[in-house]
Formats: sequence, structure tokens, C-alpha cells
Amino acid sequence: MRFKSTTGLAAIVTAAALALTGCGSGSGTGGGGSTNADGKVDGTGKTLNVLVGVLSQYPEQQKQWQSDIAAKFKAETGADVKFETFASANDELTRIQTSVVSGQGPDVYGLGTTFTPTAYATKAFVTLSDDDWKKVGGKDRFNQAALGISGPDKDHLAGIPFVSRPFVMAYNKDILAAAGIDKPATSWDELAAQAKKMTKDGTYGIATGYKDNFDPWKFIWAMSVQAGNPLVDGNKLKMDDPTVKKAYETYFGWLTNDKVVDPAAVGWSNSNAVAAFASGKAGYLMMTTSSSIPTLDKSAIAGKYEYTLMPTIAPGETQSKSDGDAASILSGDNLVVADYSKQKDLAFAYIKLITSKDEQLNYQKIFGDLPANAEALASLTDAKLKPLAEAAAKSKATPFTGAWGDIQLGLLNVTVQSVPDLAAGKVDGSALEQRIKDAQTKGQASLDRASKG
Amino acid sequence: MSTDASHEVRPAVDSAAGRAARTADAAGHSPEHHGGPRRKGLSERNRPLWMLIPGGALMIIIIVVPLLLGIYMSALNLDQYTLRKWISAPFIGVENFVEAVTNSPLLHAVWLSVSYSLLAMVVTLPLGIAAAIATQNAFKGRAVIRSVFLIPYVLPSFVVATVWRTILQPGGIMDEALATVGIHVGLWLNGPQTFWTLVLVQIWASWPFIYLLALSGLQSVDHEVHEASALDGALWWNKLRYVVFPYLKGPLALAFLIGMLHHINNFTLPYVLFGVPAPADVEVLPILTYVTSFQSFRFGLSAAMAFISLVLIAIPLFVYLRAVKLDDAETPGAKK
Repeated sequence: MRFKSTTGLAAIVTAAALALTGCGSGSGTGGGGSTNADGKVDGTGKTLNVLVGVLSQYPEQQKQWQSDIAAKFKAETGADVKFETFASANDELTRIQTSVVSGQGPDVYGLGTTFTPTAYATKAFVTLSDDDWKKVGGKDRFNQAALGISGPDKDHLAGIPFVSRPFVMAYNKDILAAAGIDKPATSWDELAAQAKKMTKDGTYGIATGYKDNFDPWKFIWAMSVQAGNPLVDGNKLKMDDPTVKKAYETYFGWLTNDKVVDPAAVGWSNSNAVAAFASGKAGYLMMTTSSSIPTLDKSAIAGKYEYTLMPTIAPGETQSKSDGDAASILSGDNLVVADYSKQKDLAFAYIKLITSKDEQLNYQKIFGDLPANAEALASLTDAKLKPLAEAAAKSKATPFTGAWGDIQLGLLNVTVQSVPDLAAGKVDGSALEQRIKDAQTKGQASLDRASKG
Repeated sequence: MSTDASHEVRPAVDSAAGRAARTADAAGHSPEHHGGPRRKGLSERNRPLWMLIPGGALMIIIIVVPLLLGIYMSALNLDQYTLRKWISAPFIGVENFVEAVTNSPLLHAVWLSVSYSLLAMVVTLPLGIAAAIATQNAFKGRAVIRSVFLIPYVLPSFVVATVWRTILQPGGIMDEALATVGIHVGLWLNGPQTFWTLVLVQIWASWPFIYLLALSGLQSVDHEVHEASALDGALWWNKLRYVVFPYLKGPLALAFLIGMLHHINNFTLPYVLFGVPAPADVEVLPILTYVTSFQSFRFGLSAAMAFISLVLIAIPLFVYLRAVKLDDAETPGAKK
């Protein structure tokens, strides 16, 4: 009659203990203030805390890079660097919120560009003065386009560009050639037409993931901007503009009308799309970055693919109506320095080191991300990187408002709620309109708060 | 023997309760009261209540203070613009509450949470009882079966959700398997069916908890009772219905309560299964509160939401606790 589940109980206890330790990740505290000695920052005995995202594709290399850079920093300033990492965007948000509230935590943060406006809105990060810019090597050392999402205007910049990760599309040269297409599409209409030609026998014209957490809104944003609607106009959200609906219809239409996307893509994230393209089953891979290079180079289509700019002419148009081509959102990583940091000079010295030409080129070699350092960017000669560099130059920043997070979520949510319709093969126009309207209402409310805040 | 069994099972109950902070509060009452029966000769006046001080202090720090802070936050206009100096964020009274009720999916979320929890509970109860009864009498390999039964319960929610997400993805194992018998269900992880997906996975993950408590109840049925009913010639159904089930009432009432609270508070399962933003059909309370806080940065609004849901859950909980007298030392309700 005895109930023998000691192992079971032990497992429960272990699981609980693991869960608890998972919650309570410790946060180290750095040393006191830093001092200036003849222009050089002396950080002997101090520790700089840096929070960066995990590069899940390159875990070993990232560790190696971190220890190398820490050694260099130590040689230069005498201070140690302690790296902390976050695994996901949600993780990142939580860390930042905790630090903002408690006024302690990392000194330097690596942030995704689209998150920079939200971080700026908290006023918890340093807006760089001219003097501060000098400490990181001067504003001029950076690719000026990359500064586009560092702050609300030229004089209020908090984000220091670290790397650029512009979005492009990849195409399978063989499939395009077999369909008699000599050059990749430059307008969204042309893209759909070409994709139709390529779709047959289990091969699809376009690979994209409708369940991705980011891609959908980037398409909608790009097509809207190219049609002359930057979504945010002062304090007005223009999501109810016809250009937005047209963008959704085009994006969903690939699957429902043109039937140039694998129907399974309703459940795909970006990585599934990369895999489909890598297996040679798709002509175009949309919304990808240089980070797909390692996967593609190891795949069946190694040597058979190339990158190119995504279309810059909005659906139904014959030329771009945007100022600048809006080939990609301005994407990459920014560095920000916490306002509560007691060793800001040390932080700036670190940023100066990792944004120097040599370090940026080294970083590009290991991880593939494009340099934010202008000189380093100009010195890249690899042909494969050319379209990427071009996309970086033709990137356009998303609106710089603290409400952007909500707007982005709203744009994404329209897709999430439309997925069942997509799977059924038809997205009802009025249902779509209603979803866009909901997103408009919520986003506008968020903008209203931003203008008050 | 019956005491032994209840001792062995109680830690499991407590650890389950400990997963959800608020649940622990509710469940924590019963063991304390059981420990102080009158036959030890202690009058209520002489109870060594001071011994509760360490636990009480911890409770205040871990539960009461955050609760009060949460209530205070719900009256602030706290968002990313005011977060940094959050104590001095503008005080806006009940505006957050008004917005939560009139202009947010809160009520829909409450409805979803409660209905999904109830559905999962209604299905897991008979499953758990049946499993407990099936493993009541000794047979070869019973220990193994009992251990296997506990697997879903021992696995962390995150693992359960990740595995199920893989199984249920479009064109995944489940779709393939059903297709071989000619059934095409459609999307599991998006659209209206997500609600049923959530219920299904929750059932899979939580029935062993009912099983565990039902087992504890069965262990407390004395041998004499079995013998007596056998002598009276009771057949299996009559024996179950009139002899065994009354013993299960207490443990199962407790299981129902803890299970419901656990389901309503379950964040990991829907979050990992469906991601954020969640399909509208599974935007349950914890997901809604999370998105409002950590995606939209509306901390004040989400605190108001959390408070409203706390009250909504506390009312039936209070009534229920009263009804089953789990909080009463004199009535042996929880024991039997």
C-alpha cells in the first residue's frame, strides 16, 4: 500500500528549485566612478558591465570575441569587462525595465534599433553631448545613415550605432534562370509576377514565414512607406490609410491569390523560410539578413544564391513615393549608456574601442553584421556584401516615438489574427479592415500618451 | 497507515501550491490548522503563535508588500515615460480601472481564463480518479505505472508547451497522424481552435495532480471499511459510490481549488504554445496582463487588470472555501 514516488517527489522538488534559481539571476555591481588622466580613461580595479544579446548562431565565437575584447580593454584602461547576455527580446525588455526602476544594472546595453525609441522614452539612458561624442571617437566616425534611429533629432542622440543588419532578399539563380527571369524584381508587383512563373512542381516563388514575430510588420511598414505613408505623421497614426490595407492584401495575397508561397508558411517563422529556401524549394527568400549566410553556404544551394535589395516600389505603383528608397528598415544594434552608471567615461571608452575601424571589421568577419563605422563599411570589398551595404545606405528609420512598440505590436497582431483566414485560403476584406481599425485605435491611443509623456 | 500516506502526499500538494504564489496563500492555511488539534490540550489562547513570526514576516515581504504596491501602481499613470521615477508617476485614481473594464479585452480574458480552467478541470477530475482507482490494488509493475503517470506533472510547463507546440505545428506530427485516418483538423496554434488546444494540453499536463490527490484519498480508506463493504456484499459500483467516494470528497475539493487557481494563473503554457501577441481566442488573463505590462509598458493599467482579476477570483474562492470548510479545524472536511 505504500506510495512509492520518492523519485517523483524528488523530481518535483528539483524542478521547483531549478525554476527558482532561474528567476534569481544575480546582477553584479560595478566599481565606483572613473577618472580622467591625460585624456586616457583609467579604470584600474573597476569592472564595466555590458548587457548584449546572445548570438545563438555563434555561441563559441561570441565567447571568444568577448574575452578578446575584454583583454584589449584591460590593456587600454586597466578595467575589466563583464558581459551579461539576454536570450530574447522579452528577456531584454525585462532586464531593461528592472534596471530602469532600480537604477542599477549594466553600464552599457546593446539594443535592437527598433527598441531604441522605447528605451529613449524612459530617459534612463545618456543623451550624448558633443563632449560625449568625442569620447566615443566623434560622430563622424559612424555611417551617418545608421544614426537615423539614435534619437528624435540630430541634437538628441542616445543610441551609438554598433552594427547594421539591413534586410534584403536572397534569390536562387538557377530557379530564376529556369523561369526565364534575367534580373530580380524591383517592384512588389513584378515580384509577384516573377514568383508565379517560378511556382510549379513543389517549388514556390517566395519563401516567407507568416508566423514570424517580426517579419510581417516589416513588410507592411516597407510597402506603406514606399507608397508615401510613413505610418506616423506627427501625432497622427495613419494605419487606416488605404496604403496599409493594400500592403496587407499584397502580403497575404502571395498565399491566397497568387499562390506563390507554400501553404505551410502560415505556421512558419523566418528560420523555416530560410530552411525552405536552403533546400532549393523557393525562388526568393524574403526579409533576410547577412546572418543567413552560414546556413545557406552549408546548404544544397551554396554558390547558387545571391542577395539583392527588396522591391522598393509599392504595390500598384510604378515608382517609389518615399523620400529615399526605403529598401529596408534601419536595422542593427545600438549601444546605449545607462544614465545611472557611475563610470560613464569608462563606458564611452569601451564603445570607442568596439566601434573602431579594426574592431568593426573583425566583428564583421566573425559574425557577418555590417560595420556601423563609416570607414570600415567603405573598406568592405566582398561582392556578396555589396547589396547588403547598399541596403544599409538605403535603409529608412522607423518612426522615432515611444509608441512605436505598440504600433509594431498592432501591425503584427493584424497578421496573427488573420492567420486562420490565411490558412483557409481567403482573408475577408471587411474582417481585415476591422483588424486594421483596432490596431489603429490602440496605436493612436499610444501615440497620444507619447505626445503627453 | 493512513497517516503515512497523507504525510507523503502533502509535500507534493504544497510544492504544487508553491508554484503559484497566491495559491500558496490559500492552501497554506489547511496544514497549519490540522497541526493544532485540541486533543493536545492547547487552548486557543495558549497557542504559540509567536512561532509564526518568521513565516509571517516572509509572507508580508513576499505577498503583502507587492500586493499593496500593485494596488498603488494601479492608481498611477505608469508607462515607459514615467517608469524611471515611478513613485512620482501621476496619480490618476480609478482611470486605469475604468479603462480596463470598458476599453480593454479584460472581461473577455476573464471569461476565457475561467472557462478554460473549468473545462480542463471537469475533464481531468474523472481521469485522475480513474487512474487512482486503477492503481489502487497491488499488481506487478504498479510502481512503474504510478511513476509513469506522474511524468506530465513533473515536466516543467515550458517543456510541456514546447513539445506540444512542435507536435501541433502545421504539418507536424499530429496533423500527419490524423491525416492517415482521414481527419483534417486545421490549425492548432492559430485561430478559434487554439482555445481547445490550450484545454487539451492543460488536461494532459495536469491530470496527474488530480490523480495524486485522489490517490491520497484512497489511501486513507481503512482496510476495515473495505472488508465491511465486502461482507455486506456491495458490488464494485456501490462500493465506489457509497464507500470510497465520500473519502475522496475532501482531497478532490482541494485538488479542484488548487487546480483551478493554477490553471487561471498559468502563464507559461499559453505563452510558449502560442507566443505573443496571442491569437484572440487564447488571450487569457496572464497573457493579457503580461502584454499590457511588458510589451505595451502600461504598468498602471496592467496592475489594475491584475487587481480586478484577483478580486474576481477571490470572490468565488471565498465562497467555495466557506462551503467546503477547508479552513475549519473542527470539521474534518479536508481529511475525508
